[in-house]
Amino acid sequence: MKKLFYSQKIAPYVFVLPFVLTVVFFWVFPIGNGILLSFQDVLKDEWVGLGNYKRLLSDKIFLKAVYNSAKYMVGTLILLIPFPMLFATLLNSKLMKKPGLFKSIYFIPALTSVVVAGTIFRLMFGEMETSLANQVIGIFGFGPIKWLKGEWTGYFALLLLACWRWTGVNILYFLAGLQSISTDIYEAASIDGASKWQQFIKISFPLLRPTTVYVLTISIYAGLSMFTESYMLWKGNNSPQNIGLTIVGYLYRQGIEKRAMGYACAVGLVLLVIVMIVNLIQLKATGTFDKEER
Amino acid sequence: MKKRLLAVLMCIAMTASMLLGCSAGSEGDSSEDSGDKSAGTREMEVEGDATELEVWTFIEMHQDFYTDMAEKWNEEHPDKKVKLVLSNMAYDDMHNKLSLALESGEGAPDVVDIELGKFPAFMTGEIGLMDLTDAIEPYKDNVIESRLEIYGKNGAYYGFPTHVGATVAFYNTEALEGAGIDYTTIKTWDDFKAAGVKYYEATGKYFACVETTAQWMINLMLTQKGGDYLDADGNIDITNDKMVEVLEYIKGMQDTGAFATVPGGQPDNEEAYPSYNNGDYAVQIMPFWQTSRFTNYMTDLSGKVAIAAPPVWNEGDAIKSIGGGGTGTAVVASSENADLAAEVFAYIKLSEAANEEVWNVLGFDPVNTEVWTDTELTQNPDNQFVQFFNTYPFDTLLEIQDGIYALESLTSEKFPSINNEFCTVTLNNIYENGMDIKEALEESQDTLKNEFGE
Amino acid sequence: MKSQKNKNRLATVMLIVLFTILAILIIIPIYTIFLASFKPGGDLLQYGLNLGIDWNRMSLANYELLFTGQHEYWRWFMNSIILTVVTVVATLLVSAFVGYGFAAYEFKGKNALFLVVLIILSIPLEVVMLPLYKQMTSWGMMDSYVAIVLPFVAHASTIFFFRQYLLGLPKSLLEAGRIDGATEYGIFFRLIVPIMKPAFAAMAILNGMNAWNNYLWPLLVIRSADKYTLTLGLNTLINPYGDNYSLLVVGSFFSIIPIFILFVCFQQYFIEGMTAGAVKE
Repeated sequence: MKKLFYSQKIAPYVFVLPFVLTVVFFWVFPIGNGILLSFQDVLKDEWVGLGNYKRLLSDKIFLKAVYNSAKYMVGTLILLIPFPMLFATLLNSKLMKKPGLFKSIYFIPALTSVVVAGTIFRLMFGEMETSLANQVIGIFGFGPIKWLKGEWTGYFALLLLACWRWTGVNILYFLAGLQSISTDIYEAASIDGASKWQQFIKISFPLLRPTTVYVLTISIYAGLSMFTESYMLWKGNNSPQNIGLTIVGYLYRQGIEKRAMGYACAVGLVLLVIVMIVNLIQLKATGTFDKEER
Repeated sequence: MKKRLLAVLMCIAMTASMLLGCSAGSEGDSSEDSGDKSAGTREMEVEGDATELEVWTFIEMHQDFYTDMAEKWNEEHPDKKVKLVLSNMAYDDMHNKLSLALESGEGAPDVVDIELGKFPAFMTGEIGLMDLTDAIEPYKDNVIESRLEIYGKNGAYYGFPTHVGATVAFYNTEALEGAGIDYTTIKTWDDFKAAGVKYYEATGKYFACVETTAQWMINLMLTQKGGDYLDADGNIDITNDKMVEVLEYIKGMQDTGAFATVPGGQPDNEEAYPSYNNGDYAVQIMPFWQTSRFTNYMTDLSGKVAIAAPPVWNEGDAIKSIGGGGTGTAVVASSENADLAAEVFAYIKLSEAANEEVWNVLGFDPVNTEVWTDTELTQNPDNQFVQFFNTYPFDTLLEIQDGIYALESLTSEKFPSINNEFCTVTLNNIYENGMDIKEALEESQDTLKNEFGE
Repeated sequence: MKSQKNKNRLATVMLIVLFTILAILIIIPIYTIFLASFKPGGDLLQYGLNLGIDWNRMSLANYELLFTGQHEYWRWFMNSIILTVVTVVATLLVSAFVGYGFAAYEFKGKNALFLVVLIILSIPLEVVMLPLYKQMTSWGMMDSYVAIVLPFVAHASTIFFFRQYLLGLPKSLLEAGRIDGATEYGIFFRLIVPIMKPAFAAMAILNGMNAWNNYLWPLLVIRSADKYTLTLGLNTLINPYGDNYSLLVVGSFFSIIPIFILFVCFQQYFIEGMTAGAVKE
């Protein structure tokens, strides 16, 4: 027995065993359970068939939550991939002095808890005249705005919070990617007379593709499942006209606040399907599948 | 690499030892006095044998109150001493944790404060709270019945009420006198509105707020008109004429410019207190318990606020006020000490001694109306609330005593969802975004119908 | 040649200016809360956060409250440190163990299993949160740190990272180990773990960050107030029924410090480790 455990044939399975157990107990079971629950009204303890899903389709608040999550995800993709990539390239340039110092500074926001960051932003975007955001627009002659009560001003605050927290992290991802590109390629291009911009477009961008795909994947994931940021920015799950309600926020509201566990599980499964579809499209579009099949 | 790792470990060790030192220190302090911690757990000190009762609350002030009253209980019942272990949590967290704990049958406390708006959610399905009817029996005659019923279902009571919460008007007399307004002449909503316009013209400041995250004033106006959120069959009906009239009337107030939304969306909000405290808004239509918010958070107004009966539609209307808000203290049915907990908390919340404390410590209007006429108590010059307000608070309560009604749908299982929809969507649509009232109500009606499967 | 040099110098200056502006923008929110930590808590509600400095209203009162006041802050702080350390150590060891299995061996079902890693990598935890919660309850694991840590010790993205990192491993090293008579597990613990230090540093930071900031799952799992972590505890201060903003601001500001120290110490290895484990084709 002991010999078997140490044999080269069995060892690999022992190595991956913790993961297999995790998957079975903490993913397969709950998902299976979630599917079963999604066909029930848990409080009344009865089966409702497709009832929960039918209700989802005509539930305007749920659709609003999906819309909000999608809007947030798109915003973060637009802001949190190109700019960090550009900044990373510039930071990586030989002309840049003391990149380490800046890297550390940019990373600080990621180290602050969302609870803290959300509270900071909530108070910076307060509706009183003396809040930072209103002081800033005051410089340009605008009167105070109720930032967190308007759909687009609230969205702006939320996106700013996301950018503040994640720009530094994404810069580091891209820096890591850039540093695995050999400097010879740039030198050769430089000798051929390629400008820095051309080098970025022709060399850095394509060679960063794996990093970009990775960042894209986790951004989609994080964007669609965002909850705590909005929970903190609006001091709870109830925002005016639900402008801050996300899919997970709705799951939380239904499952925990309203104790409709079955309905909430249906929300969770729809989220799962949405994330899967978006990621499949993304992987297809970026050509990741073709490479994997090689 | 090694050196650096060592440095890191040193760092961690240092922080850790520093922290350990600190936390040990604070524990040492807490044994000296049970202190006022801002959040977290607090244990009562009891000599001798005592049954431990775990109590959850979301209102910090209740901790002192319960501790004081439990000490009285222990003095009177040395054979049935209790030791309260009180946890203070955030409002949403506490209710959510309770719901999860009841669901899973594990981790629930013995006693818990449940806010009125959340109460119906615990009355659905299998009720995990204890039937308190027997425990209430000895005190029942002196307690306003409508306040028991809001925590009841099918004739059984599941919560001990804390206060009546009669809705009254709080006038900042200093500000109003500056504009030549005598608040005692305000009798009807029309007077109220006209006074607002006059005040705004004189000072350029807002008279009162238009609520977007609560319905204190709206529910009062609606009940006074005989309206409600549900129809006679208990179906959702928020597009009824009376509702529209009330919201239109408030819209009219807002259009004068004298009434506006307030940061935080209602007077009982941490973001709103400063606006009242520095005189940006002069008047609040709030349940009586707002008194304690004044003494805690609007301290600059000391000696400048009068309490009066709220306006009515027509002078002589029967419905003068409604009970607003509240916290029902419930006992968890599965608790090992449920019977003792029920007996003790009936005493803590309903006995005459308790009701005197409710006023003395919390500044609320007690449910035991015997207390209301005890002028030694209600006009005690040492009482902080008597000192704060420039009218005797109970004069107003006695004036409206027979006209305090309740909003019917408050006890409906549907009310939490309706309330949630109003406070997030409907009122914001109307008063922040200028949406047509009928349209906004119809939209919300659809949403709610979908939720209730009607 | 000289003009080229001048041009480069100009470029350097411009870059530094650009990044300094960015750095200032990033620091501003931290700076506002730093300033606020010297102001009375009530001011925050009245004025919001801003850059104003009014010496007459500023004092060390909040710090006095933090260090000598009656509150649970330090208990939350300790809980968070313990939980973060335990999470990081457990996750790193288990995930490296699994990652090594994927990188070093060929075995039946490997590709299918690795696909599962990739799939789980992209599923938000929130999808399974409620059923997982129910399950944990039925196993009697509620209100314990085990329930927070255990489901995530074999952490998909960390496994993925370690596998990438170890792919470049020369097989000869393993063979040499075997010839020396080391067992398969001995090879991992004695030969592999020591060379993974940069990778550990990188993952320690990422996982440490997540554990320190984790909110939603602990919120569901933890019930007893004495087990609250910093994020849960700070959130109890945002309570409509008590003016706790003094402790909230100073506590928030202080909570950034330990994780920042950790980052500064490890950051050199962080980039190094991330680069070595970077997503490869």
